[in-house]
Amino acid sequence: MLRFWEKRIKTGILTENPEFDKELEQIKKQIKDKIKKHFAGSLAIRMVDSGSCNACEAECNALSNPYYDLERLGIHFVASPRHADVMLLSGVMTMNMYHHAIDCYNQMPSPKWVIAVGDCVKDLGVFEKTYAIKGNDLKIDYFIPGCPPSPKDIIKGILEFLKNFE
Amino acid sequence: MRLIARFALDNTEHFEIIDVFDKEIRRQKVDKQNPIVKSIMPKYPSAIWMERKIRDEFGIEFEGAFDKRPLVKHERFPKNIFPLRKDFDKKDVEFDEYKPYKYEEIEGDNVFVVPVGPIHAGIIEPGHFQFSQAGEEILHLEVRHYYKYRGIEKMVEGKKPLEIKKIVERISGNESIAYQIAFMDILAQASETEIPNSLKQKYYTLLELERIIHHLTDLGFIPNDAGFAPALAFMSKLSEDARRVMAKITGHRFGFGAIKEELSVDYETLVDFVNYLKKEVEFFEDWTDDIASLWDRFNTTGALSREKAIKYGVVGVGARASGIKIDVRDNVFYKNFGYKMQFGVKGEVGDRFKVRIKEVLNSIEMIKNFKTDKKEKYILNSFKDGEYMSFVESSIGELFMYMKIKNGAVERFYARDPSHINWQAFHTTIYKDIIADFPLINKSFDLSYAGNDL
Ligand code: SF4
Repeated sequence: MLRFWEKRIKTGILTENPEFDKELEQIKKQIKDKIKKHFAGSLAIRMVDSGSCNACEAECNALSNPYYDLERLGIHFVASPRHADVMLLSGVMTMNMYHHAIDCYNQMPSPKWVIAVGDCVKDLGVFEKTYAIKGNDLKIDYFIPGCPPSPKDIIKGILEFLKNFE
Repeated sequence: MRLIARFALDNTEHFEIIDVFDKEIRRQKVDKQNPIVKSIMPKYPSAIWMERKIRDEFGIEFEGAFDKRPLVKHERFPKNIFPLRKDFDKKDVEFDEYKPYKYEEIEGDNVFVVPVGPIHAGIIEPGHFQFSQAGEEILHLEVRHYYKYRGIEKMVEGKKPLEIKKIVERISGNESIAYQIAFMDILAQASETEIPNSLKQKYYTLLELERIIHHLTDLGFIPNDAGFAPALAFMSKLSEDARRVMAKITGHRFGFGAIKEELSVDYETLVDFVNYLKKEVEFFEDWTDDIASLWDRFNTTGALSREKAIKYGVVGVGARASGIKIDVRDNVFYKNFGYKMQFGVKGEVGDRFKVRIKEVLNSIEMIKNFKTDKKEKYILNSFKDGEYMSFVESSIGELFMYMKIKNGAVERFYARDPSHINWQAFHTTIYKDIIADFPLINKSFDLSYAGNDL
């Protein structure tokens, strides 16, 4: 255990790594201010995968790693739609997920927003319409393009979305 | 014999069932007017989902099958269509009336059911777990999938082989490189050309990097689900580092589009990284070894016995952790580059955790040995009609891919993700455990939903 503490002190705080992208630092500062102002300090996100390849989820998961550490900005992923302000939606919206995704949306308290993550949601990306795909009918408030969008793109996207709250 | 896959084809005049075993391939014609074949479920339990899928998609009945519930057609999915038949070409179908699915449940005094999913608490793919519980103790679990069923096998039909590459590489984001390698291997066979060895070394380098990323992610999540969060912070940092290296050498964080007829790999960056990674992983191994409370949770939890693993034909880390010798990489080519199979003993969470650490260290060695500066390529000419198969050891386990080319176009495409097998054995690992152990066990297998569902 001692070795661990020694390592921890040596490593320091990764999010303050001077090599870390300045631009991203700036975005993070802006996000923090916005969330403080419009969402009483915390933005709760419910992630819903409606038929993705899982790369979009992997990138959303990466937002919690020590480089991005989204939580310290007051943005966190919640387990229940009833706690959520925003739905992050990925995937092509399959026939089998359609009603579950809509149900999840209906369980969210208003006001609520949908942010689409990845090309799949918008126009199926590289996929094509089949009998097994229904396609998304939920109103999209903001779209973050990419296949998948990188964690940085997602953070930027969330900021852009928050800009609408001026 | 180990069952690898059972799938169907529509050959216009008749249907055909193909059974792929490790030692042989069996085929049988099925009369279209009276599509009934014998079930192999009783002998090969992992045929259950394969047969239920064939039944849903082709309308072929299985005589002697003990489970005839729909699999891919969920509650509101139209039951009267058989989409993988050639005469079905609709792109849109209407929702049918709601028909409840009958879960396998245990009934009795003080027994209750805990349904989990399809949308989970964390950022995880959708799937459903139906637990029968007596207090904390799990009596039974039914795993239900296909929420992500996209109809990929039909989506790619009729297209030129190269046109479907982008789709194939997105079947499962975690195994993209593996899918691409299997696909390119099939195209090379159909084009009657050999992939040069130096290029293979580069392909396999990326495959090992993909495995490293996947294993590192799990090595963080497994202890995290046992309440030890520092491991997640430590490992998620390393997997992000590895993903950035993947982006640097392939131009994409998941390596989409990386496997091509010609490829250059920046080994300098990669070797520097894996040297650094080796030290970090060794530190992690020592560190977590010392934490008794962690092993208290890891040991005896989620055991997959050797017998069960064999019976279900389990593949990948799940099999090796139970002491079974299954790995596509177990061949001369790989061994020449330092491949060594990693084993566990009892198939518990702890074994799968350790196997992952050892596999990461072995992948690091292989990447260093794969290093080459030769620039060779191959050319994909026209594709010869025929049937082709490929096996690749993805980060999750043995991936099997089949493609039939007819008149230069994809006539039938089938992929059996390793998860398709392992999910079915999964429910046997939770008996005697408590529900709080479930996330831990689940993560120790870390199976794909997208790859399974297709
Ligand atoms: S947008 Fe691309 S990366 Fe995201 S789920 Fe779809 S195919 Fe995968």
